[in-house]
Amino acid sequence: MSSHNESILREPLMTGKNITYAKITDDILLPVENKPNKAWWIGFIMALCGASIWLISVSYTFWTGIGAWGLNKTVGWAWDITDFVWWVGIGHAGTLISAVLLLFRQNWRNSINRSAEAMTIFAVICAATYVVAHMGRPWLAYWIFPLPNQFGSLWVNFNSPLVWDAFAISTYFTVSLVFWYCGLLPDIATVRDRATGLRQKIYSVLSFGWNGSVKSWQRFEIVSLILAGISTPLVLSVHTIVSFDFATSVIPGWHTTIFPPYFVAGAIFSGFAMVQTLLLILRKVMNFEDYITMFHIESMNKIIMTTGSIVGVAYLTELFMAWYSGSEYEMYAFENRIAGPYAWAYWSMMTCNVISPQLFWFKKIRTSIPISWVLSIVVNIGMWFERFVIIVTSLHRDYLPSSWAMFYPTWTDVGIFVGSIGLFFVLFLLFLRFLPGIAIAEVKLLLKSSSLQHKTKLVKEGAFPAEQVQHFADSLEKYDSVSEQDIKELK
Amino acid sequence: MDSNKKYWKGLEELQQTPAFVEGSKSEFAEPIPVEDVLNEEGLSTKTPRRDFLKALGFGLGAVSLAACQRTPVHKAVPYLIKPEEITPGIPNFYASSFNGQSILVRTREGRPISLEANPNGIGLNQGTDATTVASVLDLYDMSKLQNPQIAGKDVEWSKLDETVIAALNKAAAAGKQITLVSNTVNSPSTLAAIAKLTAKYPTTNHVQVDAVSYAGIIEANKNTFGKAVVPSYNFEKANVVVSVAADFLGTWLAGEEHTQQFMKTRDHKSLKNGKMSRHIQFESGLSLTGTNADVRIAIKPSEEAAVLISLYNAITGSSVAGGVASKKAATAVKLTAQELLANKGNALVVAGSNDVNVQTLANAINVAISAYGTTIDLDNYSKQYQGSDASFATFLNNAKAGQVGVALFLNSNPVYDYFKAEDVKAALAKVDFTVSFAQRADETASELKAIAPNNTFLESWGDASAKDGLYTIVQPTINPVFNTRQAEQSLLIWAGDTTDIYTFVKNVWNTQILAGSAKNWDAVLQTGFEYKGAKTAAAYTFSGDVNAAAAAALVSAKAVQGEFELKLYEPAAMRDGRYANNAYLQELPDPVSKVTWDNYAALNPKDAEKLGLGENATVTVEANGYSIELPVIQQPGQALGTVSVAVGYGRTKVGKAGDNVGKNAYPFASVVNGTVQFAAKATVAKASRIYQLAQTQTHHTIEGRNIIRETSFAKYLKNPSSESGRFADKHKTYDLWNKFEQPGHKWVMAIDLNACTGCGACIVACNVENNIPVVGRAEVIRRREMHWLRIDRYYTIEEDGKEYTKEKEIANINDFENVTVVHQPMMCQHCEHAPCETVCPVLATVHSSEGLNHMAYNRCFGTRYCANNCPYKVRRFNWFNYWNDSRFDNYLNNEFTQLVLNPDVVTRSRGVMEKCSMCIQRIQSGKLQAKMENRKVKDGDIQMACSQACSANAIIFGDANDPESEVSKALRNERVYYVLEEINVQPGIGYMTRVRNTFEA
Repeated sequence: MSSHNESILREPLMTGKNITYAKITDDILLPVENKPNKAWWIGFIMALCGASIWLISVSYTFWTGIGAWGLNKTVGWAWDITDFVWWVGIGHAGTLISAVLLLFRQNWRNSINRSAEAMTIFAVICAATYVVAHMGRPWLAYWIFPLPNQFGSLWVNFNSPLVWDAFAISTYFTVSLVFWYCGLLPDIATVRDRATGLRQKIYSVLSFGWNGSVKSWQRFEIVSLILAGISTPLVLSVHTIVSFDFATSVIPGWHTTIFPPYFVAGAIFSGFAMVQTLLLILRKVMNFEDYITMFHIESMNKIIMTTGSIVGVAYLTELFMAWYSGSEYEMYAFENRIAGPYAWAYWSMMTCNVISPQLFWFKKIRTSIPISWVLSIVVNIGMWFERFVIIVTSLHRDYLPSSWAMFYPTWTDVGIFVGSIGLFFVLFLLFLRFLPGIAIAEVKLLLKSSSLQHKTKLVKEGAFPAEQVQHFADSLEKYDSVSEQDIKELK
Repeated sequence: MDSNKKYWKGLEELQQTPAFVEGSKSEFAEPIPVEDVLNEEGLSTKTPRRDFLKALGFGLGAVSLAACQRTPVHKAVPYLIKPEEITPGIPNFYASSFNGQSILVRTREGRPISLEANPNGIGLNQGTDATTVASVLDLYDMSKLQNPQIAGKDVEWSKLDETVIAALNKAAAAGKQITLVSNTVNSPSTLAAIAKLTAKYPTTNHVQVDAVSYAGIIEANKNTFGKAVVPSYNFEKANVVVSVAADFLGTWLAGEEHTQQFMKTRDHKSLKNGKMSRHIQFESGLSLTGTNADVRIAIKPSEEAAVLISLYNAITGSSVAGGVASKKAATAVKLTAQELLANKGNALVVAGSNDVNVQTLANAINVAISAYGTTIDLDNYSKQYQGSDASFATFLNNAKAGQVGVALFLNSNPVYDYFKAEDVKAALAKVDFTVSFAQRADETASELKAIAPNNTFLESWGDASAKDGLYTIVQPTINPVFNTRQAEQSLLIWAGDTTDIYTFVKNVWNTQILAGSAKNWDAVLQTGFEYKGAKTAAAYTFSGDVNAAAAAALVSAKAVQGEFELKLYEPAAMRDGRYANNAYLQELPDPVSKVTWDNYAALNPKDAEKLGLGENATVTVEANGYSIELPVIQQPGQALGTVSVAVGYGRTKVGKAGDNVGKNAYPFASVVNGTVQFAAKATVAKASRIYQLAQTQTHHTIEGRNIIRETSFAKYLKNPSSESGRFADKHKTYDLWNKFEQPGHKWVMAIDLNACTGCGACIVACNVENNIPVVGRAEVIRRREMHWLRIDRYYTIEEDGKEYTKEKEIANINDFENVTVVHQPMMCQHCEHAPCETVCPVLATVHSSEGLNHMAYNRCFGTRYCANNCPYKVRRFNWFNYWNDSRFDNYLNNEFTQLVLNPDVVTRSRGVMEKCSMCIQRIQSGKLQAKMENRKVKDGDIQMACSQACSANAIIFGDANDPESEVSKALRNERVYYVLEEINVQPGIGYMTRVRNTFEA
């Protein structure tokens, strides 16, 4: 990624004036090298409260049994697996951003990939807690792996999607973690070089002896590329396999071949929404407006709109197929979703996931920070409902009407879900406190090619025709980090 | 004795040498350098590296060695002297009887664990009712009294005997009455013991009174035929059965025996012969019998007499006044009369009312259709109910007048089940001394001066005679667990007879029953019964006055008419309330409403709508000056303007499980013409409380799905496979999976939907056999009952000749009186392509080479995926540790009650999935038995707990690889279909279509 002169038709990926490599380092390491501010503490304490709710709920479940939840003989999975799929889905955006966008040379990923990947890892950790917690006998969770054991020749069932799931998720987690950490190495080294005392010692261990030599950078680039190559299929495989948990069953509403692409699209949809939720706050609180710009926000909104539309098409396809199949059970499953006792959940899902992202067709909306933030949350509410609708409304009324039942959550169900959000934020806030939230090394690459500063310089040098400059100036109007003065200067 | 001798350890001690004296001061021969080690210097010594390594090495080695020790082996203590007849692991069977039915008690290592019908018995020899199967739990009930009591304090038996004998002597001396109040006693030895007491104290009298009275039938038969008995009914001989409010397949008289007889005219074998009886039911609340009727007409309790009058008129051509008014009922009566006349001599009319006049009308009709001598047998009469409401009323009056010196209560609890409990209490207060033989300090016993706790029948010697000429033995299968004594023994002791009960019963049999018989005592103990043979049933002529009876019946009927008419009924599980502390029965869903752990007011949905009742509503029901607040069940099929309430609930002093479950409905009853009536004029008003009933099924229709396949008898005769979905040319199916080879056995079942009445005996039998936990009301509400076998009950609402099964359509129905019902036993289908098996990540559920779907509890870690993927939703998850959790303290949370567990079946821990195993332990033991006898397993060797309990023979189990087995034959039946066969899971359980013998329009 050499620095060459980029076309002015491309919008800048970094704004601000008098930006130097040193300033970038200073800006990004500000939260890491200083005592956390009030906002961080407030957030952290709230997150800790949430996490303790999670701890209490999970401990209570372990102590008494799964009976602490609202499940019953008919609905064997509800909030547990809903939450699991929700978190796994959220965990999708990170790898997509870091791997797929890297392969497609989408430079704008440079400023968001670090926190997106961190989000991925923490989301997958949250998801993994459900895998263990939903088991009747969680102390035997290791049986899911084909370990040599003392039980004779007992092996796992390779036909079972849950076994595939265990492999898929653990692979995804491992690769994501390695990818994230490799990316962190040069930045940790930066922290190390600026730190003193114990901090320096710790960061030097963490930096794996990074010395910044050309050889190191070269290897770093190669490793990143290889890991991106490995991760890319994982982006598709994880949620495909999660969808198999349902698709390979015989339950109407689950037994659907459309699930793999539908789930992957949904996962990217929710993942980007979560990235949006986090970054909009992050850039404000951490003063990263110059690095995470309106261009990023708008791009992510476009992805949300696209994937949201794919999800919408999937919903409609499902309905069509239910009708077209002629199978009374299948038809009833969807009739029940639309008009049954959980219709409110279905319509919440439809509103949040299909209708709300369509608002992003309007440029005003997709460049409005408050609306984007609200919609990003709406999308994730919708995606939670999507999983709830798929899981609970399919199970609660399946083949034999005699066993039809309703599901009502208990405080433990709610506690584990709300608490897991707290857990997630505890991890995420700790991450922001101790590791650079933006990939310093990668952002620096943008300074001399895609930054507003550089482009302004080129404009002033008269490197571009006037109409291109005009277009460039117009495109800057949406940026909240670019003042009118800056735009005027261009003209 | 203490010894003063002193022993010295050596000469040193003897001589008390100074060295010895010095040395004896300290504990150890050489002083231990504690001080040196623990002083400051010692503690701060630097451990040299080598010492540290040595210590580390030693420690590691020691720990490793210790860890190498094998787990200690806990050996079970074997019998020191093994009883000859007991082989650990092998059950022993003893013949006994329960409620007059000859049964076999299965015992393991000396403890009874289950009951089954005596296959050689007379009468009901296949199947047991739910209460019989469940009764084994009562033996292990912790709420029973463990000692005799006087004034609520435990005493010795000798003290109690002294007190009672003194009281008896005092009463006898004062010339006061000594009254023994009991429910029906048909046991010859109990009667003999009572006779002993009467001989000793001539003022003794014996009052028999049943909580649910059949005195009306006895009185009517006395009036019309001069025989004060309850007849035996022969349903198997009837081509047409008309029941006016008699739940004859359920709780009326001998429901289970009637079921066995009745289903012989309706099951797959009968249908194969092209025969099926027609059953017409007139009733107000939807009873178990009503759900099985071919034609059911909803009438009010006040119309019962009118229906019988119209029927009488139509059959005999007479014109007794007061026939039925409603057009629907009148048409039905007309058709019914034609049917009855066409089948004269092979028809039967039964009436459920306890009104003498109503029963007299029924008798008149039965005479007119020549039922006596064929379908009704007054000569080999039933002795199950002999109670007289009048004689109990007399006792109360005598007691109130202070004429009773001693009152003894045997299996009688009038403070709970008599409609005027206050009267009973007032009467008891006037009796000088009162004693109960109750097993627990129940509502009556706790009011009395003394309790002489009786043994359970599993601890007793005794007998019964349910039918004239039939005697069944009761023999103990275990020593009395608590310090209890058999009531008969107590009576003997109080009568001054010291004979032990074994000898007494044996003597009664030898002198009264076995005289002139080929059987001796030992043979009786083996076979369990003695039958004197049936007398020829004679025809009888009617000598009553139909007009007078009709007029009187109409007067009583008129008194019942009101805004609402209340009908009390005996429910299938709780019966008259005596089984209230049996957790298995409390959790047995009602066959119709599927409610557990409660009674309720059943109302027609339209009436409920009129009263403005929503979900989980409650009403205040008021009748005869008594009112209670009851939760509401909106019951399709309930006659408009009627409300049904079950008796047997609302006990307050029965024990942990049964106390305060539901509300007592007995006080709604009243006495009319000397007999207790279960119908009353009532008001029903909306109450404010919200109360959710624990139902195991909350969706009641099949939504038009083909999981139930139903045809009419006429169609069946034309084409036996009608509506079964069997087509000559099946399309080809494709399999993803390899075919399982089943070279040996292939265990399957066939279920005859036409025979299943939905009674639920199989559910309890399954619970007992497989140690299935009872979870309690709150957990049932959360839809977590553990029953491996359930009976799905579906309604079809009929209106204007159309049938509705979809929820959406049913919302617009005007009248919920016309309903047809089907019961479908549902358990693990043991699919060949089981969806549960492919999804289990750890192979905890796998297929066997005998066609069974196994569940390896130890391997299960509880993802519940199998249950989700089960299309039949028959898998049950252990949400909690039901065996050892103080929140589930219904019955089993103590070591004593845990003795009821079947040792062949493990209990399942928390977090594990379970389901019907097709009684794998029974299959295994059957196979082992055959192996030991060096033969093949024969058809019928192995029976499932459910099929064994089914008196209708609706569940047939066997080996599909044996083409001659009963089940193979049954599965070749044209009526067979498989539930959800279209999803190609290839279930192993075949269902036979429901056939209804309706009137063809």
